[in-house]
Amino acid sequence: MSLRDRAAIVGVGYTEFSKNSGVSTLALALRAISNACADAGLSIHDVDGLSTHRVGDSVQAAVVAHALGLRDVTYLSDQFGGGSMSHTTVGQAALAVSAGIADVVVCWRAINARSEFRMGGTDRPPPDVVEFQYQVPYGYATPPQQFAMWASAYIDRFGLRREDLGQVAVRQRGYASHSDRAMMRTPITMDDYLSARWIVEPLCLLDCCLETDAAVAVVVTSAERARDLPHPPALVSGAVWGSGHTLYSNHRGDLTTSAAVDAGARLWAMAGVGPGDVDVACLYDAFTPLVLMQLEDYGFCAKGDAAGFYAEDRLLVNPHGGHLSEGYVHGLNHLAAAVEQIRGGKHAALSTGQCGYVAGSMSAIVLRSDG
Amino acid sequence: MIPGADRDSTPWWEAVARHELLQQRCHDCGRWRWPPRAICGECGSFAWSWLPASGEGTVLAWIRTRHGFLPGLEAPYVTVQVALAEQDDITMIGSWESAAEPTIGQRVRAVFVSRSGGVGETTVGWSSA
Repeated sequence: MSLRDRAAIVGVGYTEFSKNSGVSTLALALRAISNACADAGLSIHDVDGLSTHRVGDSVQAAVVAHALGLRDVTYLSDQFGGGSMSHTTVGQAALAVSAGIADVVVCWRAINARSEFRMGGTDRPPPDVVEFQYQVPYGYATPPQQFAMWASAYIDRFGLRREDLGQVAVRQRGYASHSDRAMMRTPITMDDYLSARWIVEPLCLLDCCLETDAAVAVVVTSAERARDLPHPPALVSGAVWGSGHTLYSNHRGDLTTSAAVDAGARLWAMAGVGPGDVDVACLYDAFTPLVLMQLEDYGFCAKGDAAGFYAEDRLLVNPHGGHLSEGYVHGLNHLAAAVEQIRGGKHAALSTGQCGYVAGSMSAIVLRSDG
Repeated sequence: MIPGADRDSTPWWEAVARHELLQQRCHDCGRWRWPPRAICGECGSFAWSWLPASGEGTVLAWIRTRHGFLPGLEAPYVTVQVALAEQDDITMIGSWESAAEPTIGQRVRAVFVSRSGGVGETTVGWSSA
């Protein structure tokens, strides 16, 4: 039995996106969950499933369940990982709902990623990842370095110019300039991009995502129940989570192709739609080259053609501004943005977590409007 | 000691301290593997040997860190990801130890970089072959 269209996202909840929330990740999670339930037209006590992910940087799911006063949680999922897991929690929530394990599952990510735990943080021990011992001694410990390494091979293979990456930063900032939520709303030009300081060559400051204190939560329930709730349901048509490259590539010698090539094919088959049917893509953009690589690997264009495809602006990508300009909530703000697009009249949306480098896992979801 | 070194990797780090670059090789199917693991991902065998690697490889990717992320390590510095000559799906991260900047596809060789010689104070760098 397929997962296709059996569950839906019926609520999204945000906290403010800031550089210093001033509160705990528990408080952030509770605020986002409360907002998501209210958005869904449900009570917090309708929730019987909870799922989050973290890398030693956030509150445990069980603590959140306790704080919410939930006594009989039927689905409790507390996963290890960063941006690769954002869509895993939601895909598995759809699975739990479809299997009758839970009725209403709330999935969230809560981080003080600027004020408390900076990713790959230089102010704390590295996360519990066995491979870090082979990297930290070389001063290689942070996501900008890990993704710059990947990007250098990608840029070299396809002969990309700096402007090919810069167009992503410039366009997404333009979208964010219309947002009430985005952390960065001042438009930038290609000259701004080209003169931005280097962080890790070949990536400059404007290739890199923001660091954000925030939480985002989404509420998943059955498609049937979703039809009685206030918002048009965003049906979970397809969901994939699986393995990707690790920092040592999992026996994949080619750094220029992501795990989305294999997983994307499964995703489209499950959803019963293809890249040509999608009218918005929210693509995990911790760094600009990831947007281009995913356009290729999810099948929107041929390998090596993404820079030209993106320049043609035929597909709406990251209309919320993405991690580059809205804020960095590890992919879950992409899924929330995709839900908002479906509510706004779009028919099909792809939303992705990290496409499978560093963590060795990936995840993505296709949402569709009902009917 | 290297932070995070574990029971799988300690023999490797001890060899590096002796300026030896070892790699695990499966006894049964002959596949090389990295990082150190108890099982062969190809054939499932738990039997392996530590063998000397040639120390030859090819630059797969490289970066220049310009922002100082780590206290005590002054930017800029160059880091490379190298595919080993033994098997092209085995790649290692290491410091770049030549003056001229690397190029992707360039042939390189391993060098040992010692701060004072104890386990964890020696690391593997790469220079032009």
